Formats: sequence, structure tokens, C-alpha cells
Amino acid sequence: MQFPIAAKPPVGIVFDAAMRRIDEVLALAMLHGFDGKGQARIAAVCVSSGDLRAAQYCDAVRLFYASATTGLAAMFMHSLPVGLADPVRTGDAPMFQTVGQNTIKSIDDTADPATLIRNTLMAQNDGNAAVVLSGPATDLAHALDMYGVRDWIARKVRVLSVAETGLEADRSAADKVISGWPTPIVTVSRAIGEALPFPGESITRDFAYATPHPIADAYRAFQPMPYDAPSWAMAAMLYAVDPNDGYFKLTGSGNVRALSLDPEQKDRVIRAYIEMASAKPVPRKPRHPVDDKDKKKDEKKDVNNKPDPGK
Amino acid sequence: MISKKALPRRTFLRGMGTAVALPFMDAMVPALASAKTAKPPVRMAFVYVPNGIIMQGWNPDYEGTLQELPRILKPLEPFRQDITLLGNLTHNTGRALLDGAGDHGRCCASYLTGVQPRKSVIDIKAGISFDQIVAKQVGAQNRFPSLELGMEDARQAGDCDSGYSCAYTNNLAWKSDTQPLPPVLDPRALFERLFGNGMATTPEARARENLYRRSILDFVSEDTHALESNLGPTDRRKLDEYLSSIREIERQIEKTEKDNAQIDPHMEKPYGIPADFAEHFKLMTDMMTVAFQSDLTRVITFLVTHEGTSRPYREIDIPDGHHPLTHHRNQPDLIEKVTQINSYHLRQFAAWIAKMKSTKEGDGSLLDNCMIVYGAGLSDGNRHLHEDLPTLIAGRGGNHFKSGRRIVYRKETPMCNLFLAMMDRMGVHVEHFGDSTGRLDVLDLT
Repeated sequence: MQFPIAAKPPVGIVFDAAMRRIDEVLALAMLHGFDGKGQARIAAVCVSSGDLRAAQYCDAVRLFYASATTGLAAMFMHSLPVGLADPVRTGDAPMFQTVGQNTIKSIDDTADPATLIRNTLMAQNDGNAAVVLSGPATDLAHALDMYGVRDWIARKVRVLSVAETGLEADRSAADKVISGWPTPIVTVSRAIGEALPFPGESITRDFAYATPHPIADAYRAFQPMPYDAPSWAMAAMLYAVDPNDGYFKLTGSGNVRALSLDPEQKDRVIRAYIEMASAKPVPRKPRHPVDDKDKKKDEKKDVNNKPDPGK
Repeated sequence: MISKKALPRRTFLRGMGTAVALPFMDAMVPALASAKTAKPPVRMAFVYVPNGIIMQGWNPDYEGTLQELPRILKPLEPFRQDITLLGNLTHNTGRALLDGAGDHGRCCASYLTGVQPRKSVIDIKAGISFDQIVAKQVGAQNRFPSLELGMEDARQAGDCDSGYSCAYTNNLAWKSDTQPLPPVLDPRALFERLFGNGMATTPEARARENLYRRSILDFVSEDTHALESNLGPTDRRKLDEYLSSIREIERQIEKTEKDNAQIDPHMEKPYGIPADFAEHFKLMTDMMTVAFQSDLTRVITFLVTHEGTSRPYREIDIPDGHHPLTHHRNQPDLIEKVTQINSYHLRQFAAWIAKMKSTKEGDGSLLDNCMIVYGAGLSDGNRHLHEDLPTLIAGRGGNHFKSGRRIVYRKETPMCNLFLAMMDRMGVHVEHFGDSTGRLDVLDLT
């Protein structure tokens, strides 16, 4: 049931990624950037590769962006755990060899991705969630198999935005999701990501506000600098957050359509990448489960301790 | 040739308006039956405490075999081998999920139902609770398919939490999605329900009756003598202990009624409810022991105090309300007080577990054949968190669980997965319940 609330919040994003490429790291940074600017909310982050270090890295990134929030607001800040596909392995990706402070020691500190996705979708307004997929579709295929989840997806998710690069790692899962997903799907081709490279020079220019910086450090560790990075996952993220902002055109018809590049928008897209991926952590407003009105009521309440005269 | 007939499991000692069920005795085992085929039944109970728990005093910093228990669980130290601590179980349906404030109403209503309750003061709706699914399927063989008990406030109307009806905060069991089952609070009412003829008795009428009788056991003395003459020495001793425990409960209730009348005839609590928390807890749990022992029921829910309660704990020198204290904002003095309340609850619970363990049944104890879940619908009451809910199981569900362990599941593991596993142990097989995603997979190891 949806209880009436004052205003519809920004779109909730489920980001399911293998976290094996640097564009996925940058897309994660963009998601935090959008969240900080109130243009989207982080609903869930899942690592489909089962790489425990990648999950630890995602958690460290969360803590990095939460670092600007202090006091009561920090005390009452709450986030869901990172989803991590099973079987879990300790990966050797160079970009995660130095992972900052995080709360994940073992698989027990992570969640089953399908359960996490189900749980987080239940908390979204109808039609106000989007799923960004980069890497194999294994987690989403599991979610579709879970009791009742297809209905939650149909109700809550407005679009599934898919970076095609990486889908091949689990072809049967990809086929299952493409054919069985109950809401529109848009795909980001290999060519789109390559045509919109994230400029490596931005790392030294725009991320220098913090040292160490988990995103910049991962970028440098991914491969020798300087290099520009293809942006498959970033394009999928940008479209999912704001499909109506004219960054891309859509081609094809039916439930599965493809993003196409508008050459006139290329610079604008890359500027959006940089702005969101390099956004600084921002303090969040305090949120307390019991507001002042409730507290006052509670203090004088105690009506519950009086006997029911009818008994 | 073996001609001796076994005593039927459903034997009652009857007298005027009284029916006292019997505990499981050797004489109930058919002569040719092996101990294995005559296993006592499995029972389950839920003991729910409100407002969350101070989790740093609950969660050990290790997994696997239970070693030294954290502060709040200390009272259970003698029963370490009989309990299983479960970590990371979550009730997603207790979370706001767009419904705003009201975590206390939601967490209690979703606790055994596994569904998100409708936010309303009048038009209530949750779901059938899993204890009632079990009660419906296995309870037909018992006098009471289930018992719903509590110690505080059974009101069903009004706004108890930010737009959630008191029906949500004051009940654990739901017979249907719109019909909660209010708990019985009064020990006298429970006693008469267990052993009486079901007729309500006023205090005045009871006082008159008391002039003429000493105990319900007097009414069944003829049946008792007849039965005793056919029992072996072990069963005779067992019967004697059992009837003595009933008599002791009866004495305690009479004492409470006498004390209450002397303290203040206009006191707010119903006539038979002890003013002392520990005494009340003991009376209720003593009767739960008898109800399980005599197979009057196999399903009990016990809402210790209602969710969101602001009850003070003057018994342990804490005059502040429980709920306001739990919003401690990390102030050490307030955390200490909540910890003391949590520990106090656990001390009462441990005393019950001691009783269950000392009650013999079959080759082991009554506790061995039970699954008694102690827990709360919130973990951190300060932040209203619905994950890593404090959950322990006392007993081994018919020597089925390998207890004495702490098992930590993955985060977000639905609490309803535990319920599915418990339903299996109760002989009720359901594919899906609430927001379950499967069965807890580590619990069923022997």
C-alpha cells in the first residue's frame, strides 16, 4: 500500500554491475553524485561477479560519500547492504587491491542480490525506480524467478537500462531477462560507450579535492595513465536517471530499444559524466524515526498503560 | 502375551467443571512401541519483547559454538547448549516502504504475519500469522489450537503509533488478515481457561467458591486416585509433580488476588494481574509449561509488553518509560538503562527455560521438544532498524536442531525463512510464506 506523501522523491536506482571495468566504477560514482544532488536515490548496489573485494570497494565508496554527513544526521543515516552474487570469490582486479575503510568482512555482511532488489523495489513509489545493468544478467534472472518479484518490477520499475558489454558472460540469463522483463528495456551498445569516452585528464583535474579518493585511485590502478575510458555503464546510468533530458535518442520499437548517439549532445553527455562522477560528498539532512511531534505525544501518551475500561 | 493397554494421550482428570489434562507419561507408550515411535510432540512458542534490544549487549563477536554470552544474554549461560542464536534475519515488511512513521506498529504486526500492515486506525489489515497456520493444521488434536498470552494492555482500538491501530501494537497472532487474536493477560483467566469449564467467573463468585473449595484438584481427586492405582512409580512421581505445579500456580494466583485487594481495591490492573512484573511473567510461563506438558496446546505466542510501550521498570529502579529510553541518541546513561531492561526480561525468560529444562519428558526434557523463539521486531530501537533482528531459539524442536551455536545468515535474509523451517518441524509444509525466499538452510542439522 502506498500512503500519501507530500512529493514524489527522485527516481530510485538499482545498480547491478560486475564491477570489473572502470566505467562501472565511474557509473557508481555518478550514482552517488546524482544522489547527492537530489536527482536520484541509491536504492541498491549489487556486484554480480561475486568479487568480495568489489563489494568491499562499493561499501568504501558509500562511506566516502557519507563522510560529509555528521552528527545526528550521520547517526540516523541508513543504507541497505551491498548485494553480492554467490559463489563469492576474492578477486584480483588491480583497481580494488587497495580498498578503503568498509564494513564488509565476509559474505555475511552482504545480501543476496535478488532478495535485496526485491526488498528495495518494495520501498519505491510506483513507476519511480530504474535498474541499471552492467555485466551478466544473472542477478536479475534470479530476481525474476523469485516469488512475486516480477510483479514488483512491473509496478515499480520504469526502465531497465542495460550496458550490453558484459552480457555475454551469462547468455541464458541475458535471454531470460530480455524476454521476460515486464517493463521497457534500453540497451547501450559497445559503439556508444566507445564514442563517449570519459576523459582521463578529469581524474587529476576534478577529483583532486580529496586524497585519497576511491574513484580516482581505482581509475589510476585500472591501467596505466593516461587513458580515456569507454563509458558503457555510465551511459546506461545517465539515461536511467533522466531519460527525458535529451542526452540520447532511442532507436527501434517494442519493449527493447537501443540508445543512439546524437553527435550534437556528445560534449554535453561527457560534461554530465564528469560533473556527476566527480561530485563532492555533501552533507545530508538529519532524519530521525521519531519526529518531535511523535516524541511529545510519546512523552504524555502512556495511555497504553491504563486499563481498558471495557475489560 | 502382552495385554496391558496404553493410557490414551488425551486422558483428562475430570471433576465438577474441571478437566485437567495429563503430561506425557510412560503409561501412554504402547507396550510394544519403541521409544522412537512414541516421541513426544514438537511445540513452538514466541516470546516477543518490544522496542528493540541494545544489540551490542546481544550479539556475540563470534560465530559457531556458543562460548561466553554477551551481557544481555548472560542469564541464559546455564542453557548455552540449549539455545541457537540467529543473526541477520530481517523483516522488510516492517520497514516504512512508503508508509512513513510507525515502525512500532508495523514491526509488531508484520512479526509473525510477514506482510506489511495497512496504515490505519480503523480499517486494519495485516495477514494470517504463521502460528495460526500451524495451529489450524496441528491444533485440531489439542484442546486449544493455540494460546495467545501477554502481560500488558490488550486494547484493540485507537491510534498507538503514528496512525497505526493499537490492534497492530498489541497483538502478535492474526487468525485472518483482519482478525487479530488479543492476548490473555490475567493469570486467573488463563488458569480457568486451561483447567476450568470455560465459563467466566467474577471475582465475587470466585470468592464465594473459595469458601467451599481449596483447589480445582479437589474436584478431580477421585479420578486422580483411580489413575494413580494404575501407574508405575515413575509415572506416579511425575503425576504428583505435575499436580503440585498446578497447585502452586493456583496458590500464586490466589495470593495475587488477595494482595491486589489489599493494596488498592480500585487499582487499574484487572483483578488477578500481579503488580510485580516478575511474578506475572512467572505465573504466565508456569502455565505455558503446564499447557505444553499436558499437550493442551502446541502453539503459544507471548507478547511480553506491547510494542512501543512506555512502561517504566520501577522493579529495577528505572522510572523512565521504556520507549523514550530506547531513543537514546547514543547517550551512555540511557543505553545502560535500556540494557538493564533487556537483561531483566532475559532473566525472567531464563527462569522459564530452567523450568522447561527441568521438566522431564520422554528421554529428555520438555525443552528438548520445543522451539521457543525469543525476539523483537526491531533490532536498534534508537534508529528503528528492522534488520539483524534479535532472535534466539531455545530448545531443539524434538532434538532436531543442533543447538549451542550462533548462526549468522546473509544480510536481508527474511525472517519468514525461519518460519518456513519451523513450520516444517511442526509438520506443516508450506512453499511460501510472507516475503520468504526459501528455508533457513543451516537450522535443520542434527
